[in-house]
Amino acid sequence: MVIFRIVEMTSRAVGTSWPAELAAVLGPDSVITDPARLRTYECDGLTGYRVVPAAVALPRSTEEVAAAVGVCARHGISFVARGAGTGLSGGALPVADGIVISLQRLRRILHVDPVNLRAVVEPGVTNLDISRAAASHGLYYAPDPSSQQVCTIGGNVAENSGGAHCLKYGFTVNHVLAAEVVLADGTVTTLGGQSQHLPGFDLLGAFVGSEGTLGIVTQVTVRLLAKPAQVRTMVADFATVAAAGDAVTAIVAAGIVPAAVEMLDNLAIQAVGASTRSVYTADTAAALVVELDGPPDDVAELFDDVQRICRDQGSTKIMVAADAEERALIWQGRKAAFAAVGRISPNYFVQDGVVPRGRLAEVLGRIAAMADEAGIRVANVFHAGDGNLHPLVLYSEADGEHDRAERLSTEIAELCVELGGSLSGEHGIGADKACSMPRMFGEDDLATMLRLREAFDPAGLCNPGKVFPTPRLCGERPGPYRPHPLETAGVIERL
Amino acid sequence: MTERTSFDSHRPPSRELLDDCVHCGFCLPTCPTYVINGEEMDSPRGRIYLMDLAERGEIPLDRTMSAHIDSCLGCLACVPACPSGVRYDLLIEAVRPQIERHVPRTRIDRLVRRAVFAVFPHPARLRVAAVAGLLYRRLGLAASLRRLGVVRRLPAQVRAAEELLPPVRFRSLFGRMDAVVPAVGERRMRVALLEGCAQRVLFGDVNAATARVLAAEGCEVVVPREQQCCGALSMHAGREDEAARRARRLIDTFERHEVDAVVVNVAGCGSSMKEYGELLRDDPAYADRAARFAASVRDVSEVLAQLPPRAERHRIDARIAYHDACHLGNAQGIRQQPRDLLRSVPGVEVTDIPEASICCGSAGIYNLVQPDAAEELGRRKAAAIESTAPDVVATANAGCLLQVRRFLTTDVTLVHPIQVVDAAIRGVPLGEERR
Amino acid sequence: MSAIVTTYRPADLAELRDALTESARAGQRLAVAGTGTAQWGGLVDADAVVDTTAMTGLISYNPTDMTVAVRAGTRLADLQEVLAEHRQWVALDPARATAEGGTVGGIVATADAGPSRHQFGGSRDSVIGMTVVLADGTVARSGGHVIKNVAGYDLAKLFHGCLGTLGVVAEVVLRVHPRPAATATLAVACPAREAFTLGGRLIAESLEPAAVEWTCTRPRGPGLAQRAEAAREQRDGTLLVRFDGTTNGVADRLRRARALAGEHAAEGTPEHWQKAGRLAVGAPGDTVLRLGTAPDQVAQLVMDVDRLAATHAVDAAMTSTLFAGVHTVRLRDAPAAAHAAVVESLRMAHSAATVCRWAPDLRNELAPWGDPPPAVSLLRAVKRRFDPDDRLCPGRFAPWF
Ligand SMILES: Cc1cc2nc3c(=O)[nH]c(=O)nc-3n(C[C@H](O)[C@H](O)[C@H](O)COP(=O)(O)OP(=O)(O)OC[C@H]3O[C@@H](n4cnc5c(N)ncnc54)[C@H](O)[C@@H]3O)c2cc1C
Ligand code: SF4
Ligand code: SF4
Repeated sequence: MVIFRIVEMTSRAVGTSWPAELAAVLGPDSVITDPARLRTYECDGLTGYRVVPAAVALPRSTEEVAAAVGVCARHGISFVARGAGTGLSGGALPVADGIVISLQRLRRILHVDPVNLRAVVEPGVTNLDISRAAASHGLYYAPDPSSQQVCTIGGNVAENSGGAHCLKYGFTVNHVLAAEVVLADGTVTTLGGQSQHLPGFDLLGAFVGSEGTLGIVTQVTVRLLAKPAQVRTMVADFATVAAAGDAVTAIVAAGIVPAAVEMLDNLAIQAVGASTRSVYTADTAAALVVELDGPPDDVAELFDDVQRICRDQGSTKIMVAADAEERALIWQGRKAAFAAVGRISPNYFVQDGVVPRGRLAEVLGRIAAMADEAGIRVANVFHAGDGNLHPLVLYSEADGEHDRAERLSTEIAELCVELGGSLSGEHGIGADKACSMPRMFGEDDLATMLRLREAFDPAGLCNPGKVFPTPRLCGERPGPYRPHPLETAGVIERL
Repeated sequence: MTERTSFDSHRPPSRELLDDCVHCGFCLPTCPTYVINGEEMDSPRGRIYLMDLAERGEIPLDRTMSAHIDSCLGCLACVPACPSGVRYDLLIEAVRPQIERHVPRTRIDRLVRRAVFAVFPHPARLRVAAVAGLLYRRLGLAASLRRLGVVRRLPAQVRAAEELLPPVRFRSLFGRMDAVVPAVGERRMRVALLEGCAQRVLFGDVNAATARVLAAEGCEVVVPREQQCCGALSMHAGREDEAARRARRLIDTFERHEVDAVVVNVAGCGSSMKEYGELLRDDPAYADRAARFAASVRDVSEVLAQLPPRAERHRIDARIAYHDACHLGNAQGIRQQPRDLLRSVPGVEVTDIPEASICCGSAGIYNLVQPDAAEELGRRKAAAIESTAPDVVATANAGCLLQVRRFLTTDVTLVHPIQVVDAAIRGVPLGEERR
Repeated sequence: MSAIVTTYRPADLAELRDALTESARAGQRLAVAGTGTAQWGGLVDADAVVDTTAMTGLISYNPTDMTVAVRAGTRLADLQEVLAEHRQWVALDPARATAEGGTVGGIVATADAGPSRHQFGGSRDSVIGMTVVLADGTVARSGGHVIKNVAGYDLAKLFHGCLGTLGVVAEVVLRVHPRPAATATLAVACPAREAFTLGGRLIAESLEPAAVEWTCTRPRGPGLAQRAEAAREQRDGTLLVRFDGTTNGVADRLRRARALAGEHAAEGTPEHWQKAGRLAVGAPGDTVLRLGTAPDQVAQLVMDVDRLAATHAVDAAMTSTLFAGVHTVRLRDAPAAAHAAVVESLRMAHSAATVCRWAPDLRNELAPWGDPPPAVSLLRAVKRRFDPDDRLCPGRFAPWF
């Protein structure tokens, strides 16, 4: 029998003097306790879950983070790290009676080292600002989540964030060399190091993607890459979503590794078209964005190959970006797509499942069928190259479609698991999918993961209630489709 | 419904507009106040969240709320940054008057605001204040007071106003413009020029330059003498009634002239005047007239962009950093035209400034009522400008010029873009207006 | 040290789990072997051994998905052969894989990697899923069969470099890459400092090398002042840069790289890489040390190695994956005490050092590890949670835990 020990949505013991102590170590300007102000921290990018924290701390240095965590450790207060709050799985959802530690005042780029091809930054630095800082050396930071202009590197480390160009270049975990971490007892340590060779287990690798449950990152050393010599981008239209899916499979099977392969279906194109100077064909069923980068000769040859494959797979139109500006427009549309969907639907869920790349056409067909059956529209805009789907389940709160849409969204994620894939490719499990975890992992698997959790944070104070299913969260036998107990209890609210 | 919300029923922010925000945070890095303090409540997303909560009646309109609404510069950088098309401009304009009506201000805040509104929109009073300021500077008083540390001991708000006073020469101060400037050569347009209340006094030479360039490009320029403040400052401060009053008066004044366009060279005034239709929509006597008037308002760079250059421009070899004034770039979407205007002068190299989207901290009366934040932003902007090592900084807003000038550590010429064109047409060296 | 009385030789996951459950009941301390890694770190003091070499074979392989699942005892070289039929490969090329038949599980447990780690990273970057059996017989799976996956903790990472102390790796899922249509190597005779600068330029010129290795097999040591002088004239080492890509692309890049490299550049051969590989593996009687430094420390490290080799009259050779900051130093032809002295001195400046091969008697002269890494208390805490009775490979990380 496995006991999921750590995960409680409220802290156990709430001491009396801790807010004063917090203010004493950080300064009153760095602690928020006013009820109205606290409410602006009650949710992240997934607004369906809301919990008001007891306080928000805004430390300015590693020492201050350690001091704040130290206060928590002494008083048994839970704490949740927060970057830009763009997470889409409720990872930064506060804990009632706990504190939120915002890293938004640790925003310095400490060092750009073009010789060793790396940069050392504080966790609140945005993903894009790293590339900006490196640009004058002809370097950049490769992982590029669509939220890159706002999400923080600390959040990226916690979520192991990906992005369009991760197909060729890998994810956050492949680009982080070292992290300074404040552990749940308030001590500071360093994971990783200067080199790829480090004796001992790869604690850094295990930390990346742990969704803020193993400690707070206060400094990150990332790898920088040289900008590719040549970049070529095209948009290929297809008459059906399945044909576009098959084209992706064919490109991959041909042994070509594009920098990015993204797909938008017609609904997504409509949303994008409503918001930016759209370069997408308004009435195509699906569009593939394929980008190749690298040395000019290689890119030229493979770019021709990709166009040929797309034509062979029945592409109805291929638009090649003529210059950097056209490329920027293509990406602008793609990257704004999630938020742009707000323009064609009052409410929506962003789903984030992964399937093996050979099964793209199949899964898209099944999603369409499920959507039809539920009478709900689903837009698709996603990282097709690595099989990472982002079905956007559109619904109207006002028309009472919420529950149906949520069920469909969960079903889609679980379908991905059924097809041999994963519940999440990049947005994380967070509070949102914890109850679906038993679909993907057995009790022993989860219990083993918790051993790691306990090694880092025996008291269970660090972002509790995330990633792992708990009886409290999911009912006695963790499983999907149960109303959130905290909702019934009035602790959290669903919109 | 009404009892539920904390707003009164006079034009509260609409639920539909609030619902457009999907909480994605894309606006955060563009928001100057968030860039400074990293607090959610001082970000567009946080402010919208507070408005949303207030709309639902979950939080009251109190000093907490007003603190975060007041701290908004109204720079509107968050609007173009939003992929979901949230109309923050409409939201903040709806909320400010609510705050004015429902949240009592602290005494000092009240005093400062009263003083500002007593002086700035009134050219005559401002002129007196400017002369006082001028003498104060001329006599070397400023320097000696500073040395004595007197200035530093004044409350931050007073200091801000003192440091903002530009060095003004007597000529520009009392020079009054002709009522009609004829077009040079064949007339292409007839336009009316807004002098701007602060502009008229502090930057009279910008108005002169504007009139000269317009004329040189074939515009007959009318300058209605009796014109008064456009109300932009009041509008941005949530003083809705005052703003509406001034708008009506300005419309009355300008309607007397038959023109193709009303030309403005102050970004802040232009953006407000383009919104008169919205402001006076509930006033049956003015709604239509206001909409018509608003539609005729053009920034000077917009007008010139439509007139292929006719007057010869002499060469000016200068590296010019162009700073997008928020009320031009964000509020009116005018970014390209001023750059093109500058580039129409041979020898000019236009450079962009890092962090271009971040406000300089001037923002209407912001630097007067939120001096600390404004100071940090000004310093940041000045550093960003200096990092591009320009010979000249050009920006199309009086407030920005005042604000940036305060923090520049190097001796850079600060101009309105029109002054560059004016100098080029006249064939005089740029920098006549150097401080 | 007690004598090993039992050997478990499971053929699959179920048998492995049974073996561990049984040994748990018997309270045996276990070594994990059959992987050629027995020498890394400290000596294991065990009552029984789990030999993984019977757990072989592919579990699933669908070339269009570009992932493959194998049993941990499968030799990496055998796996690569299967993948090659589909013009694919796992982007891992530790020298041990070909030289000593290293198994996938063994390579994971040692976090070993070869020159391709420049572009592809180490085994941690190729493994996307793993099934392990813990000391108490718990079977735990993490990751999955898709290249992109953030569900749950990535326990697989933890087993990289664990040297068998956390559990026994049973099955591994790897991402595979297409084999490039063409590949070519630039070989430039030059000392480390120049190699590092030139490598940096090739990267900055966006020539996208797949591997940037500097090797130096010139003997350093016994009274070799003159030989060193002579060697310096031979430019003291070789920079090897591999380009992968399309036929035309590779040819073009090689041409441009040669132009940048100047007069000492030539086209490299497979023999160049084999030599570097042999050096990294070493031979019986050698000591092989793997070290990590910031990349730009390579020249300093070479000077240190040179100096120590001369002082202690040891023949030293070295190969460095320059921009990964990973160096392998091979010591040869001297008494164990001399090897120990060199290693100890190097450990002082570079604590991230692992002895991968021990010369005879060296263990009597040298502690298994140098100064612990900053996170050693976390390493201990993790070990305690996974193997509370310290039954798996006890002694491996002594004296850290
Ligand atoms: C429009 C939109 C598009 C997106 N596109 C992508 C995409 O393409 N790819 C992708 O991967 N994600 C995407 N995301 C999701 C999100 O941006 C990423 O998960 C991002 O990494 C979150 O960063 P953040 O700074 O906002 O972190 P937050 O949301 O604040 O926090 C996320 C998690 O990280 C933890 N955390 C934050 N900072 C730290 C720290 N310093 N130390 C330890 N833990 C910390 C938090 O506790 C929480 O669990 C998108 C989100 C939006 C709104
Ligand atoms: S960018 Fe727009 S939708 Fe996103 S948080 Fe800001 S205002 Fe809301
Ligand atoms: S108007 Fe400017 S200061 Fe106000 S919320 Fe938007 S970006 Fe921030």
